[in-house]
Amino acid sequence: MPGSSSFTDELLTLIPRLRRFAHALARDGADADDLLQASVERALVRQDQWQPGTRLDSWMYRIMRNLWIDTARATRRRSETFVPPDAGEEVGAMGEQEASVELHHVMRAMQTLPAEQREAVALVVVEGFAYKEAAEILDVPIGTLTSRLVRGREALMTRLGEAA
Amino acid sequence: MTIEPETLMAYADGALDPIAAKRVERAIAEDPRLGEDVARHRALAARLRGGLAPAATVPDAIARRLADAGKVTPLRRPERAPMRRWARNWAGGGAVAASLLVGAMVGQMLPRDTGAIALDDGRAVVRGDIARALDTQLASTQPADAPVRVGLTFRDAGGALCRTFERQAVAGIACAARDGWGVARLYGGAAQERSEFRQAASAQAAMMADVDAMAKGDPMDAAAERKALAELRSDRD
Repeated sequence: MPGSSSFTDELLTLIPRLRRFAHALARDGADADDLLQASVERALVRQDQWQPGTRLDSWMYRIMRNLWIDTARATRRRSETFVPPDAGEEVGAMGEQEASVELHHVMRAMQTLPAEQREAVALVVVEGFAYKEAAEILDVPIGTLTSRLVRGREALMTRLGEAA
Repeated sequence: MTIEPETLMAYADGALDPIAAKRVERAIAEDPRLGEDVARHRALAARLRGGLAPAATVPDAIARRLADAGKVTPLRRPERAPMRRWARNWAGGGAVAASLLVGAMVGQMLPRDTGAIALDDGRAVVRGDIARALDTQLASTQPADAPVRVGLTFRDAGGALCRTFERQAVAGIACAARDGWGVARLYGGAAQERSEFRQAASAQAAMMADVDAMAKGDPMDAAAERKALAELRSDRD
């Protein structure tokens, strides 16, 4: 079977997880889907750089995370001038309303975290990567990852309330 | 015994080795507040996962955007919808590899030594010998060793005249615009030096799938192709 075929098949199966990760990182659903699309495009272009036999998911998360950092840097300047609408007033567009509202809450809460805490929380807590794997994706020592993770989670507990 | 917050969190995540976990469990037995912290970690994790769960989908809108836009491929089309008969025959009936293509990366995919495709105001257009072949060459009469081979001629959904071409390891679909041929799809690229043969074969399969998606009706026969090219030339004059 040609490599490209198994690559795209495998990539396709990852898209749900990648989309969830995008929602954990991005400011809103539209940004998350843009991020998803950009990541898939980049992966297709660079598929020759992926080494078969290594984990495609880690490679994809790294691509998405790098793209997100690039766009976050670019949009930060814009968001300093334009205050986003109060998201509490908005109802998300996807799926069941309650689920959508909860998705929105979680995204809002994630947004309050500094970028490096947010990505650590998203990879470990939401995506279920082991600490070591997440540290590799982020290219930081495992101690750095765990301290970001602790701080990010403590902030989220305060933000979302202990009752969860 | 003091337990670091990091250690407690790792325990809540099930990330500790058995010996370290035992130590945390003994500490929890002595101090119930630690147990509450573990519960809070787990509750938060459950809430984050639950809240984000609706995002773990491939919504139609995204699937469409991935498929259209001239950017990325019809990832699933080859398995789902068998190609039309003409396309199967033309492609020789071989298995169709999942096709992929990124039009936006046109620059990277080109062999360095060709000026055949250029960017014109951000749009990729065909130049040089490929453009000449598209203007004049009939698929039915081209010599077997023509440097540029024209494959299929068809009209897209918008009525534009489109033609497939191949030159060495580069293949593509170009559609006539007012002043020339715009690149609609391009295939080939980085893999070619490693495995030119396979690349060519999968590019052809990808191209067939894309023609199938783009074409309104079947590709033209020799007479229709001749007529369409004549009309194109008179339009441009």
